Amino acid sequence: MRLYWKVFIINGLVLSAATVALVLGPVTVSRPTAASELTVLTAGLAGMLLANALLLRSSLSPIDRIIEEMSRLDPTYPKTRLAPSTSDPGRRLVQTFNDVLQRLAEERASGQAKTLAAQESERHRIARELHDEVGQHLTVVLLGLKQLEHELPEGLCDEVALLRESVREGLDDIRRVAHQLRPSVLADLGLANALAALTNDFERHHSAALRRTISPGLPELPPETELAIYRIGQEALTNAARHADADLVELSLLHVGTEVVLTVVDDGRGMQSTRQGGRGAGIGGMYDRAAGVGGDLSITGRAGQGTTVRLVVPCESQDVR
Amino acid sequence: MSAPAKLLLVDDHALVRRGVRLILEQESDLTVVAEAGDGAEALGLIRRLPVDLVVLDIAMPRMTGLQAAREITRARSGHPTPKLLMLSMHDNEQYLFEALRAGASGYVLKSVADEDLVTACRAALQGEAFLYPSAMNALMRDYLARRRRGDRVPDSLLTEREDQVLKLIAEGLSSKEIARTLTIALKTVENHRANILAKLGMRDRTQLTRYAIRAGLIEP
Repeated sequence: MRLYWKVFIINGLVLSAATVALVLGPVTVSRPTAASELTVLTAGLAGMLLANALLLRSSLSPIDRIIEEMSRLDPTYPKTRLAPSTSDPGRRLVQTFNDVLQRLAEERASGQAKTLAAQESERHRIARELHDEVGQHLTVVLLGLKQLEHELPEGLCDEVALLRESVREGLDDIRRVAHQLRPSVLADLGLANALAALTNDFERHHSAALRRTISPGLPELPPETELAIYRIGQEALTNAARHADADLVELSLLHVGTEVVLTVVDDGRGMQSTRQGGRGAGIGGMYDRAAGVGGDLSITGRAGQGTTVRLVVPCESQDVR
Repeated sequence: MSAPAKLLLVDDHALVRRGVRLILEQESDLTVVAEAGDGAEALGLIRRLPVDLVVLDIAMPRMTGLQAAREITRARSGHPTPKLLMLSMHDNEQYLFEALRAGASGYVLKSVADEDLVTACRAALQGEAFLYPSAMNALMRDYLARRRRGDRVPDSLLTEREDQVLKLIAEGLSSKEIARTLTIALKTVENHRANILAKLGMRDRTQLTRYAIRAGLIEP
């Protein structure tokens, strides 16, 4: 029923009841009004207002509750929805609001997916140019300097050796930057190897122990999906290293039925559950990446009990690579 | 003295090939007989030409160095299969192990090519593995971690001195630094290093690949 009719009917009922009471009741109003009549009228008016107030409150209060809930929601969390309401105007309000949230989430996800894709392709291009162009030229310089050393007067040898060290550092820097931008191991050797390389890097730079389980024979996944899994794993490991103060981190990538499941568990401080606000850009990015490939990401944690990041991605084919 | 070993250089950058050629041709026991700009061209050359060692870049257009290595290992030509040495920008064990599995005996980082290339070529020609320093560190660290965890590893064979050297390698010290730390000669460190590799079963590519599979560093 429309809200307008509801209010109208409530008012109509109260007024009708008052009118009926006035007609049937032993009530008269003389002029000038006697004090006793005034008392009866006042009591009648008070009764009417009270009835009206109670009836309106019971039908409108769910709406206030819903408005309050709306203001507390974090609309950036993709699965935010209002709890359904039982009474009528509330139910429609909740439904409309949830539809809007759904549309917003979809728009946002597709926008984010485009941004992420653009960012990745730009990173890819820069990494490749660093690697294939700048890196090769520096290699040429390095080899050339080595070659020169034989023909140099002795006084210059040390100088050239210094130059060579500098070029070497330049090459190392380029390799590092290119690797951070876009790990070529993912494209060249596949997801399993890329995650293995990621965990090796982790062990090299952090004190926490790392246990890695990657099930053999992963299904063929589209490159965007592999990239999303890789980046989410990378972010989860970074968070574990940076914030969790963990002793043990476990990363696993398993093929379960028609799904691929990535799990990163640490035994560290435990981040607060991320359903209610307080998410950093990194975690927001993880949700966006998951949504972009139709995956389902959950990050759960309790203080002192570690954090679990779990990504489930459907894979179409059951083919074993 | 025997005839110099015949080398084929494969890299998509002509200038890099030229640099590598100039370095290698200073050595009397090595001679570059041909160059190729990609894997397919290299395969064609190997069919026609006897070659002892192929120096392969990993990142190449069309056919990557790893694919080319696999093809070369698989190909049956009239000549004996050449030894393979990868030359790469990637400082990453995954590439190293894939390279070993593809049939390469060694892996040289471009950033230390000026120092290591000649040594690596000679090692590869003798059928020994050549690993770049940080790969060696990674293997040693992995070995120590497994020993700590109580996994079954070849263990008691190492002498006390070799054990010291092993730990220093795992910590990332260079041979020079190890020599200084233990006040022994550089040559002695190199000997220890070779002995450690041999005793742990990491001396050639087959053993290394086996170790990497057993240690879960690559899929079987």
